[in-house]
Amino acid sequence: MSGEEGTTYEVPIGPIHPALKEPFLIKFKLDGEEIVDADPHPGMNHRGIEFMGMHRNPMKVIPLSERLCGICSIVHQHMYTTALEHAVDIVPTNRARYIRTIMMELERVHSHVLWAGVAAHEIGFDTHLHFTWKIREKVMDLLEKISGNRVNYSMWTFGGVRRDITEDMHPEINETLDYYLGLYDKLEDIFLGDPSIRHRTKDIGILTEEDAMELCGVGPTVRASGVKKDVRIDQPYAAYGDLDIDYVVPSRYDYEDVGDVFSKTLVRLKEIVQSINLIRECVEKMPEGEITSEPNKAALLNKLKSAEGEGVGRIEAPRGEAMHYVRLTEDNEDVDCWKVRASTYNNLATYAPMFLGEQIADIPIIAASIDPCIGCMDRAEIVDVNTGEKEEYTDEELHELSVQKTERMSGGIDE
Amino acid sequence: MSEIELPMSLEELEVYFEEELDEQLLDFKKERIEKGIDKNENKFVWMRVEKEAFKDAVRAIAKIQTPHLSVTSGSDKGEFVELIYHFAVNFSYPGEETTINLKVHLPKDDLTIPTITDIVPGALTTEREKQEFLGVDVIDIPDDRRMWLDEGYPEDKYPWRWDEKGMEDESRHVHENEETLEEPIAERSEKEGGD
Repeated sequence: MSGEEGTTYEVPIGPIHPALKEPFLIKFKLDGEEIVDADPHPGMNHRGIEFMGMHRNPMKVIPLSERLCGICSIVHQHMYTTALEHAVDIVPTNRARYIRTIMMELERVHSHVLWAGVAAHEIGFDTHLHFTWKIREKVMDLLEKISGNRVNYSMWTFGGVRRDITEDMHPEINETLDYYLGLYDKLEDIFLGDPSIRHRTKDIGILTEEDAMELCGVGPTVRASGVKKDVRIDQPYAAYGDLDIDYVVPSRYDYEDVGDVFSKTLVRLKEIVQSINLIRECVEKMPEGEITSEPNKAALLNKLKSAEGEGVGRIEAPRGEAMHYVRLTEDNEDVDCWKVRASTYNNLATYAPMFLGEQIADIPIIAASIDPCIGCMDRAEIVDVNTGEKEEYTDEELHELSVQKTERMSGGIDE
Repeated sequence: MSEIELPMSLEELEVYFEEELDEQLLDFKKERIEKGIDKNENKFVWMRVEKEAFKDAVRAIAKIQTPHLSVTSGSDKGEFVELIYHFAVNFSYPGEETTINLKVHLPKDDLTIPTITDIVPGALTTEREKQEFLGVDVIDIPDDRRMWLDEGYPEDKYPWRWDEKGMEDESRHVHENEETLEEPIAERSEKEGGD
């Protein structure tokens, strides 16, 4: 990449940054403060989990699949088990479908609250980071109460789940939901009402509806642009078909479908309320019955070792549509083919149009706006392409740039 | 075929693809799965086309609706490499979304497939992945750089191939690596005081 009239710089940001979860590198091309190109480089920590899965028997892949991601471990477990259930015609019990739905929605609350904290941190509001991460503990406690684990829940099995949600748990579930509903106005006041935050998120990192569709983007990232794509509604899995659910797009709440960081924040916050309502509905409607249709695991494993078939499991993860493809063949005891596709994989392509024309200080918040499941930056290195001179930024310095911008913009605001 | 009306039922899709692809359509399977107490249907199409007609098939899907490509799965099936393009159509219509799994077989002596990024720009990530992991040559791909694998990974080895170009051998014998053999495992854990 050659510089144009000596004004274009290449800025690699990544691959390590403590603000986000996994290592990731984006190479930016800058003209002064303005971003003219963004080129994402994933694969900094490719663990080859699909390869590992293809050398294990189908049962052993369940715990492996939930270790794909720390936040949406339920998501991957669900996709893998449903893809396999699809392949060999296992029908999960209806009670299990409801328990699965409750778990998946609790995880969505967890993920969105966590994201709000990360977003606040990226623009210099660490008080909000600590506030959101504090209230997130409540849902993690509930998940632990139900499953026995805070992060990798180990709840899923073929044909259903491994642990029941009994009636004596209902008061605690309701209490947790009331807790979040009680705090919701405060969250909305902070993230949608605060003038400083509005200045940092409004009309920043815009993804147009057209780009969102063409680039096959998924989840809140594209719903913020007005694209009505939500697997829970379009191709209802688990118990979603029985529930009252509608697309969360900004226009439903009298906002414009702009696709900027503000819209994405709005969509995620509204989805927290949606999740709370869905969980309540599930608790009320939950049918009686067994929690798994395949209680004899040894017999099932035996059957699976010589089973033949292929299936797909699609899901609306907190970050958007994700899917697994699984194939079993008669002559292979292990999983013959396993393809994992997480939400961020598709949303990577949406980075380029979102960054274009924005400023270097907006990089952290735009990078965070798709809720990437990857790390961001530990060190930014600015290279003058003409002289080859390097200048290094630490993550603190880059973060400081972002914070300074918030302070500058807050200066002229009348509260 | 006259103007396409959304959402298309599985039967309409079958007629549509038969008309569009004619003899190039090798295999077509409709599938419905019931979910939940209300028995909502999830709809799937599994179809395979001749390699030559692959791009026409993608164009036909794109005529229905701006296509959503979830991902491309791929696997080494011995004589050939199978690619499955998982598309979704009928989205934005509650309960109607249909997953179209479009299969194409690439013989080992001609591992090439045309790019579909001119029809579905979002396909680039998954096309780059197929190049790295299966050694499929995507013709006219706008960006053929390596994306996921480490720079030090050998150029002519592909993790998802089970033939001589795969990495089976290396992965199976990691425990026989000379470095790990220098010191028996039991001694090491004693030294560290752990289990």
